[in-house]
Amino acid sequence: MIDAKAIVAGLGGAENIIEIEPCATRLRTEVRDSSKVNEAVLRRAGAIAVVHAGAAVQVIVGPEADTVASDIEELLE
Amino acid sequence: MSLAPTSLEVLAPVTGRLIPMAEVPDPVFAGSLVGPGAAVDPSRTRQRVIAPIGGRIAKLHPHAFVVVSPHGRGVLVHLGIDTVQLKGVGFRLVAAEGDEVEAGAPIVEWDPTAVESGGRSPICPVVALGATADDVRVVADGGEIAAGEALLTWSGPSRPGIAPTP
Repeated sequence: MIDAKAIVAGLGGAENIIEIEPCATRLRTEVRDSSKVNEAVLRRAGAIAVVHAGAAVQVIVGPEADTVASDIEELLE
Repeated sequence: MSLAPTSLEVLAPVTGRLIPMAEVPDPVFAGSLVGPGAAVDPSRTRQRVIAPIGGRIAKLHPHAFVVVSPHGRGVLVHLGIDTVQLKGVGFRLVAAEGDEVEAGAPIVEWDPTAVESGGRSPICPVVALGATADDVRVVADGGEIAAGEALLTWSGPSRPGIAPTP
């Protein structure tokens, strides 16, 4: 089970998230400040891995990525 | 979650050339982060993508899908790299999420040439979701492989929590 609220926290909080988009097994996110991304928090939230590429952060969560992304979008609204 | 006592045969979902997972141009697949498997560099012709195993289509995106066996083993087929960005353009679904399918049933039609001409790799990773590397064996010989031919055997369970429920 992936904890959407904890994923948001691990990405540095709602205000740090510019965009979040689900792929088949990962959340593709763009953040304002990548130093605020906490991999340990993301892993405790259920992430399998975290891949950084500058402001783009991919959070690997498995095939429930679409469900997790819509849960997160509800939290961000 | 039930253990999977039998070995599961995973078919090649597309026709093309077998390539090792480690050579897929994406760190998540190349590193087997969601599971081990193998990849197929598809023939550059419009083709139907088939179900690699029998079971339920637990997830269906235009560019990727997951079929979960009755024992709860999930196989992900991803059509090309970064193809989520195409937002479904160039893919035609011929099945629906939730369908029960036999191995070999058609799922999606696509054209790898169009993906490639858009600047993306059309390579298709086939992933045994949450499998232990030792449980998955590539049974296809190197070189050409046709959709429907045996690609992998998977002798163990999925790690709990990763595959959608069957």
